[in-house]
Amino acid sequence: MEGFMNPYTLDESERYTPRVIAGTAWHSLLWLVIANSVGVLIAILLLFPGLNKFLGEWTYGRWVMVHMNLELYGWTALPLVGFLFKTYGSDRGPMADWCRPVLWVWSTALTAGAFSWLSGHSSGKLFLDWSGYARVLFPAALFVLWLLLLVSLIRSRNRAENASLAAWATKLLGLAILLAVPFLIYAAAGLNRYPPVNPDTGGPTGTSQLESSLAIVAILLMLPFGIARRKAGHSKAIAAAWVVLVAESLLCASLTRADISHHLVTQYVSLGSLLVWLPLTPVYYGAFQWHNNSRPWRIALLWWWAALIVTGWVFFLPGVLDHFKFTDGLVGHSFIAMAGFTSSFIIFVMVELLGDGGWIFNRARSFYLWHGSVIAYILLMTIAGWREGFDPTFTIVPGLARNCIYALRLLSGVLMLIASIDWFLDASTLLLEPVLSSNSAQTRREKTA
Amino acid sequence: MLPGRARQSGWQGASLVAITYIYFLIFAQFAFLKRLASLGWADDHLKAVMAAMAIGGMLFSLLTARLNLWPSPNLRLRAGLLASGAAALLSLLQLGLVASFGVSFLIGAGLGLLTVTLVTHLRQWTGGRHALLLVGLGTGIGYFVCNLPPFFTAPPEVQTSVAGLLCFAGIGITLLPAPAKLEAAQIAQLRAPSFLRVLVCFAALVWLDSAAFFIIQGNPALKAGTWQGEVHLWANGLLHLLAALASAWLLRRRGLIFVLSAAFLMLGIACLLLLHPSRVLFASIFYPIGVSLYSVALVAYPSLLSPASSAGQRGRQAGWIYATAGWGGSAMGIGMGQNLGHVPPAFVIAAGAVVLIPGLFTALRWRARELALTALVALASFCLYRLVPSANTSAQQSQLERGRQVYISEGCIHCHSQYVRPNTADVLMWGPAETIQDVRLQKPPLIGNRRQGPDLSQVGARRSSFWLKAHFIDPAEVSGASIMPSFDFLFRDGRGDDLVAYLASLHGAGTLKRQEEEAHWHPTAAALAQASFDDGERLFRRYCATCHSAGGRTRWQAGFKRFPPDLTVGPFLHLQPSESNAERMDRLAQIAKFGIPATDMPGHEYLSDKDIASISLWLSQNIRQPIHNQ
Repeated sequence: MEGFMNPYTLDESERYTPRVIAGTAWHSLLWLVIANSVGVLIAILLLFPGLNKFLGEWTYGRWVMVHMNLELYGWTALPLVGFLFKTYGSDRGPMADWCRPVLWVWSTALTAGAFSWLSGHSSGKLFLDWSGYARVLFPAALFVLWLLLLVSLIRSRNRAENASLAAWATKLLGLAILLAVPFLIYAAAGLNRYPPVNPDTGGPTGTSQLESSLAIVAILLMLPFGIARRKAGHSKAIAAAWVVLVAESLLCASLTRADISHHLVTQYVSLGSLLVWLPLTPVYYGAFQWHNNSRPWRIALLWWWAALIVTGWVFFLPGVLDHFKFTDGLVGHSFIAMAGFTSSFIIFVMVELLGDGGWIFNRARSFYLWHGSVIAYILLMTIAGWREGFDPTFTIVPGLARNCIYALRLLSGVLMLIASIDWFLDASTLLLEPVLSSNSAQTRREKTA
Repeated sequence: MLPGRARQSGWQGASLVAITYIYFLIFAQFAFLKRLASLGWADDHLKAVMAAMAIGGMLFSLLTARLNLWPSPNLRLRAGLLASGAAALLSLLQLGLVASFGVSFLIGAGLGLLTVTLVTHLRQWTGGRHALLLVGLGTGIGYFVCNLPPFFTAPPEVQTSVAGLLCFAGIGITLLPAPAKLEAAQIAQLRAPSFLRVLVCFAALVWLDSAAFFIIQGNPALKAGTWQGEVHLWANGLLHLLAALASAWLLRRRGLIFVLSAAFLMLGIACLLLLHPSRVLFASIFYPIGVSLYSVALVAYPSLLSPASSAGQRGRQAGWIYATAGWGGSAMGIGMGQNLGHVPPAFVIAAGAVVLIPGLFTALRWRARELALTALVALASFCLYRLVPSANTSAQQSQLERGRQVYISEGCIHCHSQYVRPNTADVLMWGPAETIQDVRLQKPPLIGNRRQGPDLSQVGARRSSFWLKAHFIDPAEVSGASIMPSFDFLFRDGRGDDLVAYLASLHGAGTLKRQEEEAHWHPTAAALAQASFDDGERLFRRYCATCHSAGGRTRWQAGFKRFPPDLTVGPFLHLQPSESNAERMDRLAQIAKFGIPATDMPGHEYLSDKDIASISLWLSQNIRQPIHNQ
């Protein structure tokens, strides 16, 4: 696996095009700014519902769809597209010219999606609201990305990083899996498929949560092979992590996919098996060499990951989930997942991919503004959820306490928006700079060494 | 004497720009019109007086660069400020028609002289270090000050006096020592498009701006949604200020055409949104941003960005821009607003063609691959979408299916669950619980994940169709504490009735059993002990008076199955004369909590037992005794 997906073993005749990754970061941040702006709008509408009358048909419920989907398919997905560009060599040589068109197609599909949700077209499934024309266009954008990766892989057959059969086969396997994604998204947005339901809450079962968590673990474990170099003498830590993942996957496979309650011991105990990643993930990430620029985000990522695992399990426990289900408490938890962990993770990925250009995410003001606001938001929502669990009228019939909490939530949302605008402006600056460095591979190698 | 650093900061330039904008916006465009109205000039007279201002403005915009009377820019600027200030103060007099012509002409002439001189020699007062930023700051402050609620809502005489006095303050600023010699090379590097193209772009933008301004001013509904009320004014002021600073930053980073294109997009969207008064809130965001974006460019282009080789050429370019694009475009926009009352979408498209097409050609040349691939994928997806037969068109759907689709389209699941959790407090409030098999029959299940409002899985058993419809039309009026938006727009076509039919259908097999359970429900002893008469009155006024007061009954009278009784009169079909006081309180509590089945009387399931007990306590002592039952 030594040469597998390792950017430091590039053929020097085929240079990186840093603008590809910078462009990916720019698109991603653009959607973050838009999605956060919409988030601020819906926070305002919750506090001042009378403003809905000025929005015509574009009322609160439609904006929530726009907010959630743009955060997922714009902000969090596009950095992984950048990762794929890098991994499959699309950011090098003549294929680099096709990366920006692919990003345009992706953003066009998201724009079409946003307008379709605002126009009242939705499937009614959370995070799978694709409906009508947008339901075809977005998978088509994914398919175009896949074609680019395929052609890039074929053209890079003779590069050093693809020399070993294992590397070549792994990338082919990855492509085979990626090919299924557009079709899966199209199918999953249909009306006839729905995941298992926890009969005591109406939410996902422990098995479903374990499945999705293990998918995230798999991404966390695979990622370093695409963007970092292994340190010598850490093979055991790496191997141990993969063995645990396989073991947990087998455990997950042995669990039922039926509609079963979180009160069953097997459900919350099996989900608790994720706690093993609390020590394992930092050890695993410590086995790789990372760019200096990514250090703050790597630390943030690991802390948020720990918080997510612990709170994810605690919130699933009988009694706790029964109290918080349908309340702001779970909104706070989802914020740990999206604004805390996922955002730190993808910024970490972008900083690694950008290398020296990763400075755009490392201004202290935006770093602390983002994390401080996210923590405040989570605390506020947890308090609200705690109260709401005892008394549903806390939200349904707004009073002073609820309005104060929602006002502070709005403030934290505005601060997050400011941080995201700061990143976006810096990303725009980065794009306008003369090429970061045409032989940045060499620069990176020297710096990392 | 100012300290050296302050003198070098270029604040004089920013102040002069701000003063000029304040004078133009609050006096020439606003207070002077009110003043003329108070003098009795209307219709043709008013148009003629305003035409005199436009003539003065155009004439002096074009002549200023050619005037050799005062070669010193300082002297010329002072003359412009003096004329403007004097005109403002003169307008406070009881002017006859001829005098009004004269003052109006003087306003235009003063502005022409002031604006062209200022931009021609702006670097003299801004210095060279942060000239663009100072222009943005000056413009932003100008708009911000004009939108300050006390100033914006002040009498025209106050606005006029302030504008006039600011002009004299401007003269004082020109008497102060100027900043150090400019460093022109810093800004001269920016690429500038052809002058003709810039002129046409500005004309299109001013036209759109003036038309939108006039339309908003003339339409009370639009005015209320844009610049009436302190919140709107503060928001407008801040948006203007931020957009002006952003414009300065963008002019440096992305160039003039980018800023003008962005300004067009903002103004164009605002004009289209103004076609629908219900979307005026969005228009009130786009409009000030668009205006400030191009307003900064209107100053920065002739003063800092134009590739003019001499001050004379710069002045002539400024003159043409302000005469044709400024005064001419403004007159055309106002004419459009007066005659059409709206900005036709076709005109927005035409303006877009003028502003954007050159940029699009450039984009086509430089982004051909991106555009081609995007167009190809979009077209292929469209063909695929048309080829794949949709499962069910709305014409083939039943009313309940259409209503369910409306529920999905409006994003109702983001506030309402459709899942009663068994063995929890949910059951008493919104039950009974459904089985998983029942849930799985729904395609897709609409369980939801967050409750901002009540669960709706059994709402058909708890609320009548009439109540649902009334609540959709005006939620707060029907349910005192409702934070739900109004969905009255759904009833302009059939969607609202479809949605009501769908919701009314939401009740399961356990409804009868549920009603038995409700009949056996009683407030807890603790709740009864804590019940408060005063709370009961407060809660009654909030939740019950919406129907049981004279106003509430009048509002909805046509729709009630049975007219809600005046509780001081009766009759009460659901109370028995033979009941003891305790039994009556119990019954009233049940009605307040769960409503009355098969009537329009809703329950208030989400209220605590203590609140319900308080309502029943207050009711038991205030309603007429049910001896008069019929």
